[in-house]
Amino acid sequence: MKRHRRQLFTGLPLLLVATVVTGYLHRRHAGALPGYAFLTGWVLLAAMLVLTFYNVWKKLPFLPFGRSEFWLQLHLYLGYFTVVLFLVHLNFRPPRGVFEIVLAALFTFVSASGVVGILLSRVLPRRLATRGGEVIYEKIPALRVACRTQAEALAVGPDSQSVVIGEFYLHRLADFFARPRNFWWHLAESRRPVAALLRELEDVQRTGSEAERVALAKLAELVRQKDGLDYHRSVQLSLKLWLFVHIPLTYGLLVFTALHLALVYGFSGGAR
Amino acid sequence: MSAPAIILERPQRWDAAFDPALTEADVDRLLATAPFNAMQPLAFPKRTPLREILRNDAKLHRFRRGEIIVRQGDYGSSAFLILNGATRVVLKPDLPPALLGRHAPVRKGLFRTLAQFWNGRRPPESFARSRLQASAGLGARVADQETRVFLQDLPRVLNAHRTEQMTAGDFFGEIAALSRMPRTSTIFADSDTAELLEIRWQGLRDLMKYDDALRRHINRIYRERALASYLRATPLFRHLDKERLDRVAEAVEFATFGDYDWSGDYKRLAQAGAVRPEKEPGIVVEGDYPNGVVLLRAGFARVSQKTGGGERTLNYIGAGQIFGLREIAHNWREKNRPVNFQFSLRAIGYTHLLIVPTRVMEEIVLPSLPARELPPLWPAAELSAEEPPPELARREQVGAEILEFLTENRFFNGTASMVIDLDRCTRCDDCVRACAATHDNNPRFLRHGPSAGGIMIANACMHCADPVCMIGCPTGAIHRESFAGQVVINPITCIGCKSCANNCPYDAIRMVEIRDQSGELMVDQEMRPITKATKCDLCVENHGGPACERSCPHGALTRMNLNQLDELSRWLGK
Repeated sequence: MKRHRRQLFTGLPLLLVATVVTGYLHRRHAGALPGYAFLTGWVLLAAMLVLTFYNVWKKLPFLPFGRSEFWLQLHLYLGYFTVVLFLVHLNFRPPRGVFEIVLAALFTFVSASGVVGILLSRVLPRRLATRGGEVIYEKIPALRVACRTQAEALAVGPDSQSVVIGEFYLHRLADFFARPRNFWWHLAESRRPVAALLRELEDVQRTGSEAERVALAKLAELVRQKDGLDYHRSVQLSLKLWLFVHIPLTYGLLVFTALHLALVYGFSGGAR
Repeated sequence: MSAPAIILERPQRWDAAFDPALTEADVDRLLATAPFNAMQPLAFPKRTPLREILRNDAKLHRFRRGEIIVRQGDYGSSAFLILNGATRVVLKPDLPPALLGRHAPVRKGLFRTLAQFWNGRRPPESFARSRLQASAGLGARVADQETRVFLQDLPRVLNAHRTEQMTAGDFFGEIAALSRMPRTSTIFADSDTAELLEIRWQGLRDLMKYDDALRRHINRIYRERALASYLRATPLFRHLDKERLDRVAEAVEFATFGDYDWSGDYKRLAQAGAVRPEKEPGIVVEGDYPNGVVLLRAGFARVSQKTGGGERTLNYIGAGQIFGLREIAHNWREKNRPVNFQFSLRAIGYTHLLIVPTRVMEEIVLPSLPARELPPLWPAAELSAEEPPPELARREQVGAEILEFLTENRFFNGTASMVIDLDRCTRCDDCVRACAATHDNNPRFLRHGPSAGGIMIANACMHCADPVCMIGCPTGAIHRESFAGQVVINPITCIGCKSCANNCPYDAIRMVEIRDQSGELMVDQEMRPITKATKCDLCVENHGGPACERSCPHGALTRMNLNQLDELSRWLGK
């Protein structure tokens, strides 16, 4: 946490100074400087290209270009500053026309997904560490299948002799073990669904025979294991998914920006 | 309902003989040969008779001229006795790395660095067939089901290097075996009938214990060849002149504790809860009279303090560190207020140490030290305090959970362990992808491993201070880049025997099937895939340091010497 704070203490003042200077220059030159919109547009494009370069950098780890941690910090603070540049480029006015609205919407979604992503990256790892049971994301499906196989063997396998457990499994547990469950509950850090399921298991256990109680205790343990896997899947998937929004939108934004550039230069005539 | 306890049979010595092919007739012959014929069988206890030591801890080898027996820089757990024929030791200059089956890593130049742009499409672990030919000057053959490497151009080696012949009755390798230090010279067979007896460390230890002549012989060699230079390099003795240093060397006692083969069984025992501080061999017991300063020469030891019914770990110390100096220096200055050892010291795994007796410390060493270099006295308040002194308390900042975790898993062995802060790691696998991109599309580690206290030690080569993986490599393919360097594998001379992978107690070495450049699996004449050992090489050939560490966007991954708790403490508090 100390390092994050240190980075904040360095990055935030720089961001504030850059914002104040940009605001000052905007007030002084907006409308007065010929080709001002072109100038702010090119600066904005340059900033966006530098931001995109971070993704390229990650694909070239063999080049000695410093540490990813530094580049991410640069990406974050330049990203915040790019929002300021974007507003300056728009002259603090809402976009006009369908094309501009789409372009602005793309920019907004890219920026927002980035902010959401960094918030998730700061919050969710700690939750995973606190929950424990570390598991590699790609191994979760195989572990889930192993869990289900064990549960099926206990409840409806050839050695299972309890109709009560078999029925309970088919009605309440089969679906739970069949696929990932409770994605949003896990993200919200709520254990309500699994607690309800375990309560139902306990109810059956209370009236069961000794052999049934033993089998149900094992089933309850498997339910907890499966719930742990679902938790890891939900959180780890969220840590990955935001990038699947942020990166494609970024490239979409660049394509629209290129079109915007072509249109501006194609139709500006003597406005330069 | 609790799970049933895992009952393990503690492995017994001599469960597996070193050389199952050794016959009774061979043992009879050995008993009739010097130096064993001069030993007194009655001096050996019934539990470890001389005959059984030879039968279980010795192995016969026959070498042909030019075959390498031990290489400089290798780690070994055994000594050799020449029974017949001759061997030759290379004195100066050392043999070049290529002749020892090694490959000196070279940092990638501009072209090789840029070539990685398009090499990313290559099949993983692919080699050009021509590259897999053994380097010139070195050949390999199989003898007695073992792969032997031999020097092809022996006359040239003899011309270019100063060597010395050793003949029947000569011992070699005993210092490296006893002190777990790298072998200092390369030795090869000098006759086609060279017959050698290899004695593993346990057997050598017992032979020394019960035979005075052998013990005197090895002690003399140890003092002559190893001790003087070691003491000269130890800061504690740097103010001593040669005469006083010789007196110290004469008085120093050395000892070994624990099990040399700790790496094989400790994990199973630890999982069964059988590894507890109280069960580790005690070197020093808290409360005892301080009879000498302990210098760790190899291995590791745990510093612990009695608390309640057990002991708590305060720290662990490794090679080059000193224990007990503060107590002895205190008693020397405060004769009216002597203190006993304030902590216990226990061997973890294997520990080789030197003990400088208190008398020698008081007469020779302590008077030579300037006052500022003496450790502080023990204030009365600190002696009665429950808390450890500040220098140990600082290390306690890593927390008892992490300290126990590192100790139980022997992670302090790692000089470049991959430590992941689970509170920061987003599980993005950028580290894995970076590793693959820089290593033939094959990531050399698993982003998974034991964890405690919010940190994970990933399954990546830790470049151990005590690299047990290097013991037993038949071709010398796994080696240190230099005496203080990274542990690396030369893929060209690796024969895929798995010796290193089986020895590694941390599961950090993986056997992979290799392919040619078109992606076809390479197979031998019996159509079995050819495998090679792969592991993290700390990006020794790349610029900028380990790619895994550089590629972590959140600073959650670092490569760290876990023998330096201060470093870990700083990183955790970052």
